[in-house]
Amino acid sequence: MSGYAGYVGRRLAQFLLVVFIGINIAYVVTHASPIDPVEQSISAVTSFGNTAPEAIDRMRHSLRELYGLGGTPVQQYLTFWKRILSADFGPSLSAFPTPVGTLIGRALPWTAGLLTVSTIIAWVLGNLLGGLAGYYRQSRGLKLMGVIAMGLHPIPYYILAMLLLILFGFIWPVLPISGGATMNLPQTLTPEFVWSVLQHAILPALSLILIGVGSWFLGMRSLVSNVLAEDYVVYAELAGVKSWRILTSYVMRNALVPQVTGLAMSLGGIFNGAVITEKVFGYPGLGSLLVDAVYAGDYGLVLGVTTISILGVSVGVLAIDLLYPLLDPRVKVS
Amino acid sequence: MRCIRALLLAACVLGSLLLASVEPGHAQGIPQDIPRKDLLILENPEGTVKNAGWFNIWVINAGAQSNGLQQAALDTLWYIDPESGLDGVWDNSLAADKPQYNADFTEMTVKLRSGIFWSDGVEFTADDVVATVMTQIKHPAMRFSAVLASNVASVEAPDARTVVFKLKKPNSRFHTNFTVRWGAVWILPKHVFDKVEDPVKFDFNKPISLGAYVLHSYDPDGKWYIWQLRDDWQRTTLARFGKPGPKYLAYVDPGPPDKRVIAQLNHELDVIHDIAPEGMFALAKQSKTTRAWFKGFPYGHPDPTLPAVIFNTQNENFKNPDVRWALALLIDIKAVAMAAYRGAATISAIGVPPTGTHPATYHAPMEDWLKSFEIDTGKRKIKPYDPTIGKQIADMLRPSMGEQIPTDPAEIAKAFGRGWWKTDPVAAQELLEKAGFSKRGGAWVTPDGKPFTVRVMVEGDLRPVMTRAGTMIVQLWKQAGIDARIDVAQGTLPTRRAAGDFDTFIGWSVETWGGHQDLSYFLDSWHSQFVAEPGKPQPLRNWQRWSSPALDKIIEEIRTVGFDDPRSIELGKDYVKLAVKEMPTIPLMAYNVFTAMDQTYWTGFPTAENPYTNPVPNWGNSRYMFVRLKPAN
Repeated sequence: MSGYAGYVGRRLAQFLLVVFIGINIAYVVTHASPIDPVEQSISAVTSFGNTAPEAIDRMRHSLRELYGLGGTPVQQYLTFWKRILSADFGPSLSAFPTPVGTLIGRALPWTAGLLTVSTIIAWVLGNLLGGLAGYYRQSRGLKLMGVIAMGLHPIPYYILAMLLLILFGFIWPVLPISGGATMNLPQTLTPEFVWSVLQHAILPALSLILIGVGSWFLGMRSLVSNVLAEDYVVYAELAGVKSWRILTSYVMRNALVPQVTGLAMSLGGIFNGAVITEKVFGYPGLGSLLVDAVYAGDYGLVLGVTTISILGVSVGVLAIDLLYPLLDPRVKVS
Repeated sequence: MRCIRALLLAACVLGSLLLASVEPGHAQGIPQDIPRKDLLILENPEGTVKNAGWFNIWVINAGAQSNGLQQAALDTLWYIDPESGLDGVWDNSLAADKPQYNADFTEMTVKLRSGIFWSDGVEFTADDVVATVMTQIKHPAMRFSAVLASNVASVEAPDARTVVFKLKKPNSRFHTNFTVRWGAVWILPKHVFDKVEDPVKFDFNKPISLGAYVLHSYDPDGKWYIWQLRDDWQRTTLARFGKPGPKYLAYVDPGPPDKRVIAQLNHELDVIHDIAPEGMFALAKQSKTTRAWFKGFPYGHPDPTLPAVIFNTQNENFKNPDVRWALALLIDIKAVAMAAYRGAATISAIGVPPTGTHPATYHAPMEDWLKSFEIDTGKRKIKPYDPTIGKQIADMLRPSMGEQIPTDPAEIAKAFGRGWWKTDPVAAQELLEKAGFSKRGGAWVTPDGKPFTVRVMVEGDLRPVMTRAGTMIVQLWKQAGIDARIDVAQGTLPTRRAAGDFDTFIGWSVETWGGHQDLSYFLDSWHSQFVAEPGKPQPLRNWQRWSSPALDKIIEEIRTVGFDDPRSIELGKDYVKLAVKEMPTIPLMAYNVFTAMDQTYWTGFPTAENPYTNPVPNWGNSRYMFVRLKPAN
């Protein structure tokens, strides 16, 4: 285990470095943005009003103070890290004075719920069917599945989402087309609310699952085909091991390793939010929050979302890297 | 393989059960516990409100306002309707009468209505108005702090129904700060804010209402707000016009344009704030119950704003009006109208939007002057105005749109506008040569021998209609040998516009009251006193950075005449003539807003035939719509 402990130490140091660099890049990129949150705010306030020009200068000055945009760049940078380390991203500039943490905390459960469930369903279905299709290559049903997966894979997500919207929201209007739950339903864990959340999640989840299943299916089918050529599979077949056992214990298990890595990265990426999904379906999650924040120049909020996204992906990859040596004997700790 | 079949079967059964569990037309975008017949559903164009629980509208940019807050729950002294109004364009709301100024406009006295109550039962008095002013002056982070601080020397309430403002300097338009066109200084409840330690950190949740509705409920995620008619609605200013029809109002974020169309086709969104022309055409074709401002083409409501090609007149290439005119004469407005709005545009040759009372006050009376207006190209004099262009657009659209296109010249003028400038490449060439430009190998070069490059800044997909107009103009200028380029600013436009970092851009520098002929809404900020040095940021407006002693003189005189003084119209016409001669901006068309109204549950929406108010539902004065709406059945 001493070798493993050293590996863990090195991997943790690498993790911290990656997070530090990632957050710094996000800081530089957002602060290099030409969008000025103060000007955005003034523009929003005055675009429809007859605000006297001389009053606007005073407003600009007040906003700079209010938003805490004073100080030298170095002071601002140090303040930023102080806030990061105390898990406080400060107030949102476009939704002032609501703290960034509150906004993220409100949006995160929607995104996490939708994406976690749909990612896992797509992963399970895609890998299961892909594995079967790779093993039972003569099956007509699975061949058809392959054709469908190949057909679904290249469809731009937006088109598929719109097709689902038109189909189930207009032609056969059986599903809600917007929001996370029915209007005017208290957000408490009542059966009505839970049922409403499920109904509202069907279309966005379906769109994600359809695309996701296709992708995982093709990947798994290809991996299984490779594993089938391995000596130990051939030997198992010659030894008369039952095909179902070969599939589950030898083929799928080994083919799944890279897919698990992919799943971890997908789950880590949940903190980005599914931007297009949430926009198309009006889902109240992190993706919508991030896009609005970018347009508003609300870099406090942008940094908040990107920071937890960086942490999410990095933690996901770290967890997999730390688990692999324990689970897979082929992965050597060096 | 049986296992696979079983899995597939299970998936099919599960999917079918989920779908079958939802009845068609149920559990969609409507609240379950409010009868649809009592509910009006409107789009909140602010979309999803991030800090949904913030209702303190008096803090700068700290919350939503188009979520019903300003339309249903707030009130102030006066309203001006951009259309004809319920009882004329001017409405004394909390004020009992028009503002009374002293002779030199340094004092304004307001008489207030009696019998108006806040929704918590406290009577509205002059103390509320004084508190509104003083609270904001004391707190620079409040929205109207700066404008009030720079104008108000003192404000007093000699009695419960009178407010006297003493101004720091003469201002014949001070009352416009308390006059709603879209928004204004809303009156805050003194008895609530008196108990608040820091008004800037106070969320005002749940809001006390002075309007006819109170907050019923809202989504913590900011997707929807529901407002309920006050039991004592008769103790509000709106009651003079009758009982509002809808018992409940829902302001919702229906999502992107496609979903707005679907939601209205499903009768789940009574009023769409705005969609692209194509969305409007789809609704007009597919929905028998959808109604827009115009019954047929061009559908959209002409906003009291005027998109234009705005020159940076501090740029060396655009200092000469001959160059600006040359670029105007290279534009084919028919092509621009088609590109931007698919023809559904209301064009304007002059710097006043063709909406509200302006066609009668400015456009029609100035037609003869425009027809006789001449430009000296250096080689000859031309009359550039073509009074038939509105009709040409109508004629061009008639073969495809049929009976929707009016034939009556007055209706054509109302829908498509009157005339515009002829496309005249020869005159444009002469004007450019007069300005010292020359053509080398088919491309124009500036007097100092550099390629004549013009960037046209547009907002990109944030404002697609204007982006399409800009793209067409670039194309037209390119065809004439100018190195024109589109410059997509996206979210950086406010910053670049303020800094003067552009050659030209498509946007508006002109906004008006619409329903009232006074042009001070934008004109005062065109004074040269606000123009900054090249490259330095300047206050908003006068984006064109145009300094004109002649215009300053007009503005300074307007400041000394009353708001309703007929002289202000004459001065407005002087501005129009000067702007035509100098062409600091090339006016294009009204900013048409495609507000679509579904008449399945409610009738009586404002339309071009019955223009009692602006239909656009985010405006404060859309409250007038509520009293005219009746249940469809």
